Amino acid sequence: MNTTLSTQGQASQTLAWNMKLLSHNELAGFGGVGEGISMQVAGDGRRILWLAHESAPKNFTGVDVTDVRNPKVVVQTDLPHARVRSNSLDVVGNVMAVAYQTKEVGQKPAGFDLFDISKPEEPRLISHYDTSGPHSRGAHCVFFVDGEYVHLSSGAPDFEPTNPKDDQFYQIIDVRNPSRPTEAGRWWLPGLRKGDSAPPPPRHPRFDGGYRTHNCNVYPQRPDRAYLGYIDGGAIILDIADKANPKMVTRWRYSPPFNGFCHTVMPLFERGLLIVSDECVKDDGKDWPKLTWVVDAHDETNLVPVSTLPLPPVETFGKRGGRYGSHNMHENQPGPASFRSETIVVCTFFNGGVRAYDTSNPYQPQEIAYYVPGAPKLSPSGAIQMNDVWVDERGIIYSVDRFGGGLYILEMTV
Amino acid sequence: MVNVLTEPGVQGRDPLAGRIPVSIVTGFLGSGKTTLINRLLKRPDMNRVAVIVNELGEQSIDHDLVEVSSEQMMLLNNGCLCCVLRGDLQDTLREMFVKRRTGEIIDFERVVIETSGLADPAPVMHTLMTDTMLQAQYRMDCVVTLVDAVNGAGQLDTMQEAVKQAALADRLVITKSDLVDEAKIATLEARLRELNPQAPVKRAVNGEIELAFLINVGLANTRSRLEDVERWMGADVHDEHGHVHRHDSAVRSFCLRYDRPFTWSTFSQCMEVLTALRGPDLLRVKGLVNVEGRAGPLVVQGVQHLFHPTIELAAWPSADHETRIVFITRGIERSVVENLFTAIGSIAQAPSS
Repeated sequence: MNTTLSTQGQASQTLAWNMKLLSHNELAGFGGVGEGISMQVAGDGRRILWLAHESAPKNFTGVDVTDVRNPKVVVQTDLPHARVRSNSLDVVGNVMAVAYQTKEVGQKPAGFDLFDISKPEEPRLISHYDTSGPHSRGAHCVFFVDGEYVHLSSGAPDFEPTNPKDDQFYQIIDVRNPSRPTEAGRWWLPGLRKGDSAPPPPRHPRFDGGYRTHNCNVYPQRPDRAYLGYIDGGAIILDIADKANPKMVTRWRYSPPFNGFCHTVMPLFERGLLIVSDECVKDDGKDWPKLTWVVDAHDETNLVPVSTLPLPPVETFGKRGGRYGSHNMHENQPGPASFRSETIVVCTFFNGGVRAYDTSNPYQPQEIAYYVPGAPKLSPSGAIQMNDVWVDERGIIYSVDRFGGGLYILEMTV
Repeated sequence: MVNVLTEPGVQGRDPLAGRIPVSIVTGFLGSGKTTLINRLLKRPDMNRVAVIVNELGEQSIDHDLVEVSSEQMMLLNNGCLCCVLRGDLQDTLREMFVKRRTGEIIDFERVVIETSGLADPAPVMHTLMTDTMLQAQYRMDCVVTLVDAVNGAGQLDTMQEAVKQAALADRLVITKSDLVDEAKIATLEARLRELNPQAPVKRAVNGEIELAFLINVGLANTRSRLEDVERWMGADVHDEHGHVHRHDSAVRSFCLRYDRPFTWSTFSQCMEVLTALRGPDLLRVKGLVNVEGRAGPLVVQGVQHLFHPTIELAAWPSADHETRIVFITRGIERSVVENLFTAIGSIAQAPSS
């Protein structure tokens, strides 16, 4: 293929289509953000965007984005040491849950914190839920949208996996009394815990990303369903009507032949569809294809993939620097400052930037907008690595770089 | 009967935004299109603009400016992509979109098309309206017609194509204005204003004209503001009086205004009849139409017998909610269109027995 007439593969180029950069903030020099973004509408009316950092030294940052053209960091906190990272957070009203995952098993803090953020400048710790243990690295991901239960992907003190890569499983933590979080239920894919009667599942032959829960999304439309991305285990829907005894409704296992790392499962309830993303975890296109799938879920016991969101070719972006492929999406969270759409999906693709799709025709989703920032200064991968995205109810997009680029605020003009 | 106008449906995503704007540069042989395009290609603001040219003259592009080239396309060092038309425009535009999508060429954000000398711009505009793929990915932004100060007046006298080019324009550029005296230019300018009062006129010497004059005319999204709408419809929409047509007696330009909302069926019937009987003579129609039950105005735009899909704006851009439709016609008088609207309106409102 002739690529000489293109600058799309050059990491220094900013690419934009139907998205306009309103502002950019490097977050006081700590511009590496994980996959936790949530927006609070504070008591005084300010919009505060909360960001969990990808790695130490910073824990989380609160950015006043009331004026989207002039975002201001109002608070930035530190982790206790460099062997822990927060990565994930969620906000309900004035309460924020922040995950903690350690580098090695047995380390602390591992689990999650609840903060009172009624004064955004002064987050106040309400409680810590400890999931540390001899075989636990703590929590990778929180999903907290109802103010009552934190849905958690984490290890636990009493859980020994059959394979050390499989330590994080699904847990439901009751936080109705936020000062005393208690476990309400848990579920893992049979065979993952030592002592299970089922045999351990087969490892992925090429990439072995592990069998762990990643995103665990539960929405007010279906409080009896949990939608799990289960890394190499694929997409899983659980019946959690009885929180103490979650039951698997369905599992869509597509790797192998694909390359694993199922990340997020987002239902489009009115349309009987799921949007399922993989995560690219290797640089230079080594684990391509990492896709975002449109899955027919009219019969939730028989999930059928019907298309994938069209991405620019790996030949152009694969060698742009760092990772290229699917990762996070805006998850249609409930709440006053969250965009919810049954048709438009906004996702991040590392060096492929942030991209929006119209899935009105689920068999032929169309790309309708994108923004790929030029490489941030001193970027270790030499390219942008868009990691996560939040869209507010006005359609303003907040997307973050994994390493140093910080926060990009964009207006979508479609 | 195939409907000329499509009624806008339930709105999902914005039907205008997300499509690549296209400007068409037209004008008679010798009117200076190549000079203008060649100057344009070198401008710094042409970054991420794709220009489709008919041919590359021997000296037209300084090789120092060419970063890389293939048989048909060149990437210039200001970020502009220059594409030579091969075969038909439809295929070229399709191929460009596909190559843009696959990353084989720059992700251009607008297209400028140079038409060939005698070309009637209407078929080029129709291409963008009728090809399903092109209609989904591109939108008409602006028709720019160049008129040569030396020979323009004579061409308007003798060549119907020249009159049509000027009548269809959103922007008019008088070229070679340094070669004739001021009085002659002023006469030509007055004549162009009379022929097409909606189109702003500018002069250019040696093709020196800013990109801004050639772009951002069409509506870019349904949340358009007043100035966007005025820019698109042209300056003269408040004119209630006919013009005195001295020269180009065939071309008529007028704006109809209605304070009462139409029903969709009345309005579309009016346009159906007009198009069925006089389609070729409806050179250009642009309008904001107040239709009962619609929150915003419907945007209507047609070139001869073809109309773009009708689009509803999110809201009226100002307190003025009157329907206003600009017509540029060949030989259709204002009164004829007015009478037609009145007649169909009366029939539609007549009580059924």
